[in-house]
Amino acid sequence: MLTRIVEDRVYDYGHVVGGRIFMGVYTIALGHGSNVFAIVRGPYSAKVVKLTIGEIPDDEEIIVEFGERGEGSGQFTWPAGIAVDSQENVFVTDEWLHRVSVFTADGEFLRTFGSAGNGEGQFNRPSGITIDSNDDIYISDSLNHRIQKVSNDGRFINQWGSHGADAGEFNSPWGITADGQGHVYVADHKNHRIQKFNADGEFVFELGSHGKGDNQFDHPSSVAVDSDGEIYVCDWANNRVQTFDKDRNYLTTFEGNAQELSKWQRQYVNANPDVYKARRRVYTLEPEQRFALPMAVAFDNEKSRLMVVDAQRWRIQIYNKLRNYADPQFNI
Amino acid sequence: MGNNELSAMAHLMRRAGFGATREELESRVAIGYEATVEELLHPEDGEAVDIYEFLRHHHSQWKPGTAGGLGQSSWVWRMINTKTPLQEKMTLFWHQIFATGVSKVDHYDEIIDMVDMFREKGLGKFRALLLEVARSPAMIFWLDNNENHAHAVNENWGRELLELFTLGVGNYTETDVREASRAFTGWTIEPKLPRFHMGRWDWYFEYRADDHDDGEKTFLGRTGDFNGEDIIDIILEEPATAQFIARHLYSFFVSDEVQVPAWSVTPPADPEAVDTLAKVMIESDYDMRLTMNVLLNSDFFKAAQFTKIKNPTEVVVGTLRLVGDAELPSPNSFEWSNQIMYMGQDLLNPPSVEGWHYGPEWVNSGLLMTRTNFVADMLSETDRPGVRTIIDRVGGAASSPEQLVDSCLDLLGPFEVSASTKDELVAHASTLTWSDGDKSGAEENVAGMLQLIVSTREYMFA
Repeated sequence: MLTRIVEDRVYDYGHVVGGRIFMGVYTIALGHGSNVFAIVRGPYSAKVVKLTIGEIPDDEEIIVEFGERGEGSGQFTWPAGIAVDSQENVFVTDEWLHRVSVFTADGEFLRTFGSAGNGEGQFNRPSGITIDSNDDIYISDSLNHRIQKVSNDGRFINQWGSHGADAGEFNSPWGITADGQGHVYVADHKNHRIQKFNADGEFVFELGSHGKGDNQFDHPSSVAVDSDGEIYVCDWANNRVQTFDKDRNYLTTFEGNAQELSKWQRQYVNANPDVYKARRRVYTLEPEQRFALPMAVAFDNEKSRLMVVDAQRWRIQIYNKLRNYADPQFNI
Repeated sequence: MGNNELSAMAHLMRRAGFGATREELESRVAIGYEATVEELLHPEDGEAVDIYEFLRHHHSQWKPGTAGGLGQSSWVWRMINTKTPLQEKMTLFWHQIFATGVSKVDHYDEIIDMVDMFREKGLGKFRALLLEVARSPAMIFWLDNNENHAHAVNENWGRELLELFTLGVGNYTETDVREASRAFTGWTIEPKLPRFHMGRWDWYFEYRADDHDDGEKTFLGRTGDFNGEDIIDIILEEPATAQFIARHLYSFFVSDEVQVPAWSVTPPADPEAVDTLAKVMIESDYDMRLTMNVLLNSDFFKAAQFTKIKNPTEVVVGTLRLVGDAELPSPNSFEWSNQIMYMGQDLLNPPSVEGWHYGPEWVNSGLLMTRTNFVADMLSETDRPGVRTIIDRVGGAASSPEQLVDSCLDLLGPFEVSASTKDELVAHASTLTWSDGDKSGAEENVAGMLQLIVSTREYMFA
């Protein structure tokens, strides 16, 4: 089902962006306008790709790539999270180098902050990162099992959490997002739940438990929130995205709908006759549509669309949350 | 706590796992040998490795490409971290027998699926495991059963099933090979999505009735319209199958046998032991848990300390579990599987369907240097927790060359070395500076001695 209506909400599958050029895509951050910044990471490589993604199929273009594998300034070993501030500066966590690197939107290296450790402003495998409307930064300090809040220039502000499974505790937190309303949501990865906090780290609620049913997660990796306060959970090891209303009521599940190839995938298939023929000899192309360990979600409020990083398929699948949908006449 | 008990436990953990630290050995001795065997035989009660911990950091290893050294890394990481070591050792055992490689399959993930099946069923009934192997897309492709058609028989799978997987040479005829192959016609793979435009895909077994030879077959003296499953049942009725698997178990877990191709002309080194294991298999309907219980509690197993040359996986994984700090995924995770490959065991990519030659063939002058350099390097890293613990335990207690050597041999094993090796170690220790209260000097002495010991011939034996 490409269009689904759930509790008066309309979700419509849009299109897919990606291909071999995106091999190793890990997570994304939304920039200004149609800009999207993607971390692409392989066994021996690492970079950020800036691209634009339009609202119709095939309207995507690579703008610039920056960063490379290494330990020097402007380099990454294991880039893990990415966020963009109001000036469109790009912040990238590195979970091996225990630091955050900052670039301009064009990829010019500005600075780093952070070092290895468990003190204030230090990290042990920092992963998810998000920036709120005040340009303050929240970082999932994964193996310190805490969230750190720092200023835009990297100065320590606050921290919360410790290792555990009670409210406000974490087991290897990963994805994190600020909702624009003064709240922070964390994918509490190995506790298989989402936790919501206010900007000072006070616990608000938790969502989900371990499992494969509705309202259950298996190693959630990322979370996004739209302007209605509705929550999108990247249910990584269950190969799906679950959505919830602002009161944590389950709405629906996306499992991937890429029934057509992206521009770059199509170019590749059409240029390789054996691939073209092999696709035409299988019983079904249905597996191509589905998510494979989707790693990240981001909601673009300006365009009212959800982007799902379908990491193992080197692509982003896009769902639109339609605001003015009119039912078609069904006597056609 | 007697040293004999520690030695017996160390032997058990080297063979039924990948070794253990001194602290683990001591806690296991406290619960007892038989209780430890019982625990090892029931991995379902233990804590499973969270493979998502690895994939989070190495997401390219989900269905990896076929660049050497990469595809094995998730399995090696499992072996380093497993809390149920016999389960992983059995997995390695079955991979050695049902040797399937990316050199031809060109799809690590399909072989990893087979390895996962070995992990799940490796201590269960052999029939279930063998049937899964026969249906494994990796095995079907590896031995050409997708080219085995009702009207154009391909004998590759049928032959190896009898020769290398169950009966062994001398226990079947060429006619049996032909008839078994006919019975497996139609056992194939669904048409596959191509890998190139968005990564790799699972392959699926497919039985095509329209491509199966329904004619009458005569196999090992039985006649009927046999399908593949019937062939497996008949094979398991043959005592030769139990003898063959028992000899594999003996060679892998007890003492190195001659290489498999020589089995038809060379009797087992310990026929009574092989008979014992084969008898358990036949009487238990090939229950591998029961068989391994008998093996690990047997006198012939307990008496076999340091009679097997470690395979490269045992060298690397055992050393890493000893020194520690390899538990978390790191950018170096690939290096561990590479090291195993450098030592001659490219996991998931055996040299042929016969698997790896073992025993003395693991070692030549070049490979010995590779082993020695690796283990000595690991033991030289004194900030690794396992090395640090040994140094701290030896600490200032070693006040003479003899004590230093004895303490290090004890805490690393306990190890027994030949008199000449010990004389050389003591001779080296005698050249060290022994200043009272010089902690850093003592640390250096211990670290150096540990490196020397793991470089000895004896360390290469399990």
